[in-house]
Amino acid sequence: MRFFIRHITDKIFTILTVLSVIMLVAILAVILVPMLRKGLSAIVFNGTIEFRKMQLDLFSRGDIDELKNEDIRSRLYRNKIYETIESFKQNIDSETLSDKAGVIYRNFGKELQRKNIKGAEYQKLRSLSRELRDKLQAVFKSSDKKFIQENISDVLKFKNDIAFKDTSIDGLFVLAEDFASDIEHIDLSRRQQYAASLKELENIITKLLGPNPSLPVPALKMDRYGATRRDIAEKLLNRLLWLEQWQQDSPGKPMKRVITPRAELFAGTEIEPLFNYIRENLDEILVFKPAFYWQYFIDDSTPGHYFGGVWPEILGTVFLTLAAMIFVFPIGIISAAYLAQCQSDNLIIKIIRMAINTLAGVPSIVFGLFGLAFFVLYLMPLFGGPSKPCILTAALTLAVLTLPVMIRASEEAIRSVPQSYVEASLGLGAGKLTTFISVILPAAMPGILTGIILSVSRVAGETAPILFTGAIAFGPTPKSIFDPTRTLSYGSYDIAIGDKLAALVPHNQYGMVATLIMLVFCLNIAAIIMRAKISRKLKGH
Amino acid sequence: MKNNNAQINKEPKTSSRSLALTALEDFNGFAIYHSGRFVLFAVSFNTVLIVLLIFYFVIQQGLPFFKNFDTIEFFTSKQWYPEADNPKFGALSIIFGSLYVTISALLLAVPAAILAAVFLSEIVSHKIRNYVKPVIELLAAIPSVAYGFFAVLVLAPFLQTHFGLSTGTNALNASLILSIMALPTIISVAEDSITAIGRDLREASYGLGATRFETIFKVVIPAAHSGIIAAIVLGMMRAIGETMVVWMASGNANQIPSPWWDLTQSVRTMTATIAGDMGETSKGSPHYQSLFAIGIVLLAMTFLLNIISEYFLASAGKNSRKK
Amino acid sequence: MSDKKAIIKSENFCFYYGSKIGVKNISMEIYPKSVTAIIGPSGCGKSTFLRSINRINDLIANIKTKGVLLVKGHNVYDKNTNLVNLRQQVGMVFQKPNPFPKSIFDNVAYGPRLQGVKKRSYLQQIVEEKLKAAALWGEVKDELNKSALALSGGQQQRLCIARALATNPDILLMDEPCSALDPIATGKIEDLIDKLQTDYTIVIVTHNMQQAARVSERTAFFCLGELIEYDSTVKIFRNPAKKQTEDYVTGRFG
Repeated sequence: MRFFIRHITDKIFTILTVLSVIMLVAILAVILVPMLRKGLSAIVFNGTIEFRKMQLDLFSRGDIDELKNEDIRSRLYRNKIYETIESFKQNIDSETLSDKAGVIYRNFGKELQRKNIKGAEYQKLRSLSRELRDKLQAVFKSSDKKFIQENISDVLKFKNDIAFKDTSIDGLFVLAEDFASDIEHIDLSRRQQYAASLKELENIITKLLGPNPSLPVPALKMDRYGATRRDIAEKLLNRLLWLEQWQQDSPGKPMKRVITPRAELFAGTEIEPLFNYIRENLDEILVFKPAFYWQYFIDDSTPGHYFGGVWPEILGTVFLTLAAMIFVFPIGIISAAYLAQCQSDNLIIKIIRMAINTLAGVPSIVFGLFGLAFFVLYLMPLFGGPSKPCILTAALTLAVLTLPVMIRASEEAIRSVPQSYVEASLGLGAGKLTTFISVILPAAMPGILTGIILSVSRVAGETAPILFTGAIAFGPTPKSIFDPTRTLSYGSYDIAIGDKLAALVPHNQYGMVATLIMLVFCLNIAAIIMRAKISRKLKGH
Repeated sequence: MKNNNAQINKEPKTSSRSLALTALEDFNGFAIYHSGRFVLFAVSFNTVLIVLLIFYFVIQQGLPFFKNFDTIEFFTSKQWYPEADNPKFGALSIIFGSLYVTISALLLAVPAAILAAVFLSEIVSHKIRNYVKPVIELLAAIPSVAYGFFAVLVLAPFLQTHFGLSTGTNALNASLILSIMALPTIISVAEDSITAIGRDLREASYGLGATRFETIFKVVIPAAHSGIIAAIVLGMMRAIGETMVVWMASGNANQIPSPWWDLTQSVRTMTATIAGDMGETSKGSPHYQSLFAIGIVLLAMTFLLNIISEYFLASAGKNSRKK
Repeated sequence: MSDKKAIIKSENFCFYYGSKIGVKNISMEIYPKSVTAIIGPSGCGKSTFLRSINRINDLIANIKTKGVLLVKGHNVYDKNTNLVNLRQQVGMVFQKPNPFPKSIFDNVAYGPRLQGVKKRSYLQQIVEEKLKAAALWGEVKDELNKSALALSGGQQQRLCIARALATNPDILLMDEPCSALDPIATGKIEDLIDKLQTDYTIVIVTHNMQQAARVSERTAFFCLGELIEYDSTVKIFRNPAKKQTEDYVTGRFG
């Protein structure tokens, strides 16, 4: 029995350890897969005609003639939407209708003058038409169906009057007839609600299709185009078709989400069939086409990363990393050589080693504080520079941060060079310096390179140290190392939290972070492969 | 370096050359050797200089705060109103927040990490190990801001919808992500120290009829305890100094959760306070100095942890050398 | 033999690693253009003595010497020794073949380049000459740019010999050059040593007594850091003066 329990404990333990490692792999997958998958959708997606218009306008890219043809075809489908909305708007908008009646009345007056009708005849027609106008205007304001019908039939009595034949007053009768037919299925008491709902509807349609071409071009670039991709178009279509409301059954109870078809708001009106029309003709309206937007990596972005890519961020990250490496590389190699060549640990070596360990343990945000206090506020003014965060200060801060990584990796690489190489070189009469440069360094180079790659990947991903020392979320491309820069790391933070606009374009949010992860991973995988090769080589002889 | 190679001779006939140095050669060699050594030393000593500069500048900027404001209040009060007309700087809940998420992260990470370390060093073949190691390295390589991004945009909505929480950015979210970030550090250091335990010890235990579980728990882990403690301390350093994840995921509410074990409430940490507030301060203001004061506390904590980890790593090294 | 002037001469030479004794009171003379073997049980100091001759032992920290070790009449442990010249005139071949991870050509050219030879044609001439001297030319002449690490162990060791010869030394120190090689490669090296002794003074450390008997003219027997006996090889193996030597060469020694 006792043996059995021991046996079982042993098995359970083994399974637990296996589970822990499976969990590690699962965690990696759970973290990476959604971010990379959604990030990929910034590049590969189903683009709409709006996307192609945006590309043509902002980046001068694409086939103009083909786009024109597409535009003409999609306009055919779009015009129906705009016309329906326009006519419905008129009917529920009493002021517009009243204005129209007023205009017709004034035109009629001018017409009479042109026809040279004067005196009593003029007075009579003028007052009659005024009467008709006032009646109609009263009708438009009213919500009493009976009153409306009576008044309209009063007005229409004059339709066949000889005096009004073929004059502009005809317009009044058309208005009256239209209105009469419309009120058959419009609940006039809900005019206000219609107006509000229609406004919301128009808003969504503007987001889906872009601004109405009859209106002036919006000032903001992000407002100039409709849904650029299928996922966003479908999200907007959903918002168009379904109305989401938060309702409270009774006070004190939590709010409940209620979803109703938006079409119900317009039940019985000419708008109602529009919903189905848009849903069924979405393909024709937006002209979906698969897009491979590799230019994501070389495009600048509009504010809030609404359109465009991550080129300035990539550029900034590369600049920062290179600048940091220029500082850290010589110091790292020389320190590593010094540490590796000293056989015994005297006090100085011990102090240096302790400093390296301390440096490796300093929290990254404290490096940020140090960079701010020392490089930005102290060192820059000391050399007569502007005391503001810039690429130089950020790179110096990152160099300090990555120094321990560099020294440790290089020292290990130098130490792993066989002593026999050194003996052979010295035995041939070479000096220590010559030996180091022509024998040790080349042999240690793959290991040192691995260290450099790891440092680079660390530097590229660090955010906290550059928060106060040179990273910005949005701004012009830096002209010199004395300007701040955008970076992938800080951009990923900002696009996730800081920027409210970015929440509307999740593919760009994920695109940014996926670019960062891919950059860092490529570097790391290169380092892993390189190290595997070195260890195979060392085993080889 | 005690020589020079300047003698250029077309005919490499060396046997005629004197084995004794001329006076000039001797002096040159001496000069080159010592100046070279000095350059090497001077460059290497930069690291020490940088550490001293870090301590000096962080303390120099933060020290006026402790002079001008009540240090006791800083450590005991929960009132943190740095921009009020009558500013209050009580960092208790901020310091508590840091320790809170760090310790919860370690509680999650340590058991899993030790199991994984045991798996890698004791159970699995060398081949599978070579496949698992890159996974751990990649986990370590993911930038912290990417973890933070995941926490905010993936994990937070998930927690909010599936567990009915009022907010997805809270101590639980931060602890979960921090524990993932601490895993690679703990695993690799713990694995090294377990591997360093000699085969003889294991063989003795197996020879007495112990199972693998008993061997590992009664012999190997006690023998490797220094290294494992060092691993945990290093993981703790990583967690307490982490900025982006806690800033993005912890909710940044200046409060001590009540009840204290309620992980689903938002907290605020030292690192997140520095990162979040620095942009709003002007240089030399009390608020600015208070952030450097938090930096001093953070620096002191990690320095202490560093010394502890070095102590344990050194004794782990001694133990394994004895065997 | 004693009419020849000794090229290496040690008088009461002692070598200490810190407080540990490496060799003590070694007095012997090594004559030019001959092969001298040093034999003895492991840890007897034979390698220490050999590595003192070109001061490659300097790499070890905390070393001390006493007595005199003269190479061509100059005490190598003198403060003003020109180490470059010393090591170029006293070449060394190590226990394990240790070619640099460079091409075969670059390995041999390493020494001449240190001396300032830059002209490619001249370097090629040296490389060919030395590879021929090391009996390797025929095997590698078409692949001089191949990595030296791709050669077999025996070839690598001969390459190391060629590399040592390329600085034109007078003396060649060999520290158990065949211990890592198979019998066929060993045979080739021994043939090579035989050929080289017409031009070079060779000092070879070996724990293989047959090898010492085969290649050397004179043999020194070291034990526990001391020189026990030094005489012609024939005498050491046929008729040693000391009991200790006899025990060792007849295999009765531990």
